[in-house]
Amino acid sequence: MDYFVVSLLNGVIYGLLLFMVSAGLTLIFGMMGILNFAHASFYMLGAYFAYALQPYLGFWLSVVVATALVGLVGVVAERYFLRPVHKYGHAHELLLTFGLSFIIAEFVKLFFGNFPVNYRIPASLSFSAFQIGPSTYPFYRLLIGAVALAMFVVIYLLLTRTRVGIIVRAAIHRPAMVEALGHNVPVVFMVVFGVGAALAGLAGAVAGAFYTTNPNMAIELGVMVFVVVVIGGLGSLEGALLASLLIGLITSFSIGVDYSMASLLALVGLGDWAREVGGLLTLKLSSLSGTIPYALMLVILLVRPYGLLGEKE
Amino acid sequence: MNAQSALSLRGVRKSFGSIDIINGVDLDLVPGERHALIGPNGAGKSTLFHLISGQLGLSAGEVFLGNQKISGLPPDRVNHLGLARSFQITNVFPGLSVFENLRLAVMRQHGLQYVFWQSIARRTQVTRETRELLERLRLANRASTLASELSYSEQRSLEIGMALASRPQVVLLDEPMAGMSREETDYAVDLIRDITRGKTLFIVEHDMDVVFGLSDRISVLVYGRIVATGTPDEIRSNPVVKEAYLGEETA
Amino acid sequence: MDSRIILGAIIVLALVLAPAVLSPALVNAGIQMLIASLFACAFSLLCGQAGMLSFGHSAFFGVGAFATVHAMNAVGGAGLLPTPFMPLVGAVTGLLVGLVAGWFATKRTGVYFAMITLAIGELLYSLAPHLGGWFGGEAGVSTMRMPAFGLSFGSNVQVYYLTLAWVLLCLGLLYLFTRTPLGRVALGLRENTRRLRFLGYNVHMASVLVFAVSTMFAGVAGALQAINIESANYVLFNLDLSAEVLLNSYIGGVTFFLGPAIGAALMTFFGYVVSDLTTSWLLYKGLLFVAVMLFVPRGIAGLVQTVAASVRRCGFGALAASFVLHGVAAALLACGTVFSVEMLQRIFSQDYLSLARLGGKAWPAISLFGESWRPLAAATWLVPLVLFAIGLLVLREAMRRWRAAIEAATRGSDEANDPAVASGAST
Repeated sequence: MDYFVVSLLNGVIYGLLLFMVSAGLTLIFGMMGILNFAHASFYMLGAYFAYALQPYLGFWLSVVVATALVGLVGVVAERYFLRPVHKYGHAHELLLTFGLSFIIAEFVKLFFGNFPVNYRIPASLSFSAFQIGPSTYPFYRLLIGAVALAMFVVIYLLLTRTRVGIIVRAAIHRPAMVEALGHNVPVVFMVVFGVGAALAGLAGAVAGAFYTTNPNMAIELGVMVFVVVVIGGLGSLEGALLASLLIGLITSFSIGVDYSMASLLALVGLGDWAREVGGLLTLKLSSLSGTIPYALMLVILLVRPYGLLGEKE
Repeated sequence: MNAQSALSLRGVRKSFGSIDIINGVDLDLVPGERHALIGPNGAGKSTLFHLISGQLGLSAGEVFLGNQKISGLPPDRVNHLGLARSFQITNVFPGLSVFENLRLAVMRQHGLQYVFWQSIARRTQVTRETRELLERLRLANRASTLASELSYSEQRSLEIGMALASRPQVVLLDEPMAGMSREETDYAVDLIRDITRGKTLFIVEHDMDVVFGLSDRISVLVYGRIVATGTPDEIRSNPVVKEAYLGEETA
Repeated sequence: MDSRIILGAIIVLALVLAPAVLSPALVNAGIQMLIASLFACAFSLLCGQAGMLSFGHSAFFGVGAFATVHAMNAVGGAGLLPTPFMPLVGAVTGLLVGLVAGWFATKRTGVYFAMITLAIGELLYSLAPHLGGWFGGEAGVSTMRMPAFGLSFGSNVQVYYLTLAWVLLCLGLLYLFTRTPLGRVALGLRENTRRLRFLGYNVHMASVLVFAVSTMFAGVAGALQAINIESANYVLFNLDLSAEVLLNSYIGGVTFFLGPAIGAALMTFFGYVVSDLTTSWLLYKGLLFVAVMLFVPRGIAGLVQTVAASVRRCGFGALAASFVLHGVAAALLACGTVFSVEMLQRIFSQDYLSLARLGGKAWPAISLFGESWRPLAAATWLVPLVLFAIGLLVLREAMRRWRAAIEAATRGSDEANDPAVASGAST
């Protein structure tokens, strides 16, 4: 029971973290048709900026400033890197964002070194929330989840209840029409890109303190984020949320499962044979927990190619 | 189902959500005839083409190519069974030369799509057919020009050519003459008449001279239903048709 | 056409004679360059010709390498095939794995396809360390080259020739492939899959086949690597290798058949030469890639093509000055970049940061390029600033002259074509 509750909490929170990063990605794709490979790099920059500022500004202010800085980086990236290559087509844009992610990672290594840095939760937040069985559940983890939920609510309200939100949603579906109505669509794009980046940066600033902060964190999370948006359906915010939670829960629950195919086969008396064969059959589910999301993505692609909540193009 | 008709539509319906675009179309095309589809804008002519060629699925009804049911099949299967179409908005291979564009269309008919053990240049038949097509389309001197660099009417000619290159039994042409000058249109009409000899042609056009001069029969599509089918003379004098185009005052 | 054949023959001759004049270290570099070139061309078949962007191509390189190592260890160490034929193992493995992976991946197009390839690569990367039997865990698997046909394959010169032979063969086959019907269909896949469908093509089948051809040759490249370094490690499945082949190919230019090969050869060579001098080689490569994507979208090969066309149009003389200025500008901008990056790298290195903290306000000077620079002095940073400023000015002038030369040539040819002028009539 304890295992269940802990896994559930971990899974939901990891899922919410994935959602914080994938929300911006899926919105940007839905609106601009660009899959921003560098999106997870914004996540990484958020963590690193917060880490660099922490000695001077304290934890919370660093998080806020880091978020704003990453938003600024996003705006610059859109205006000076993506916009000029828009005319060469989507593939070219994707490649450029790939290049951006590459040089962002290299710059991080240049300034901070090619190893994890010591970005830690401040002592004031490093206590436990409650007891679960023999162990305690850290409060900060719940904080991450709370930030993600708050972010989702704010975005949802912004998009559905404000005038700006309506313009943005219209620009997602019909950018030419929105421009014809007199709105400055390039500016809208730039702002959305910046906000999406800032969200990823916020996620990084908050999560980097808990998980590790290292130059590979962009790739590690980034691939998972792509899997999330494929499973959820590109352009669908709700799909991203659903898929994030799904992946979060599956990953979390499978980490503790030490059974393998061999154990399953043992139920029908083929255990020894399976263990002799080895290889995939003796692979424990816990070792595979990082691999399952990819398998799930492949299954979804076969069964429901546009994702769980995606729209047919 | 008439086993003798080249293309049959039976109770074809198409809805997008609650909007009915095609409201029950029944039509039989006689083999070898040239049949025009006319109607006011928004009547659903292009949609009908999409339904026949396999781009869109039917909400109800069936489409037959001869005896073969083609509704529900993907576009490449439909083409393979002998139906080709051109597009209202030019839909060619922009980064390839005119020659390459046509050759890709011709190649398929020789069943060469998966061949990787032989140079395409060795298939002289393919080259010859492509060159012939180029001549007939009056594009021979533009053979090595990129499709994206052609003038608009040259692109339209290429568009028609690609549909015809696959040697189909039934050809769907979607406003092939759009944007052409008088002279180009006249040439295109002769080309179409010549190149579709013995085949069945289903053409959407707004140019009434072309429609009345080229077609054996005409069908009129209004709000997703065929309101009249007949010879050009019958259609010309049909009051329902006049009303549909010109409004009630002239009826 | 003839000039290209002659050029090709010269290059092949140079490649054949190279080991006689190069040091063993450079021969090694040569082997790496050849393998990278083949990998890049195989990759470009999928990316540049068929328009399917793959972020996980290292997977096929890797399985080719692993399969070859296992084949070399088979039959009690004697090897499944004589050493010179080992790359066939890579080819078959690349083909089979590619057929399966491609069948999944090509179910979608565009960015979805790219993400699927990324995920497949990462799937392999996360799975491989756990499958010790096949992938040897953290340490990987190793083997030894066996003698064959009287050759010992002990020296790297023999490995060089083996690699050269296979790379030339495969590049030749890849080129011939572009002339086959399927090779033409690949171009159609890039240009307009929708129209292909309406022309009767089964786009999915065609995509899978093209995918598999590309992965087959990627497998050969992996096999050659396995033969060269006599080992394979799951690290091969890392995104790094996929990123490398992607950057190489696009820097070289994927619209020209040998563009990726040129890009890969240059980048590998520079990597070899420069990686001893600086730890920031990857940063430079990334910056070059972004610059190419922004300013020279068709890559180096595209640039050469454009330049050659312009020279044909205007004559070399008219453009000579512009060439020189472009070269100067490139050198200035490169120097400015290198200076800045190297200074920053040293300032932010662990050693220096500790030194700076100890020294308080006075940060010690850094020695670079034989000079001593104070990081906090304005003069230090004036150097790259000036280099950039002058570089940009020179570039602007170079481009202005280029444009002027082109315009003059265009006007000249227009006047020549204008019947009034040509017939000598006065205007």
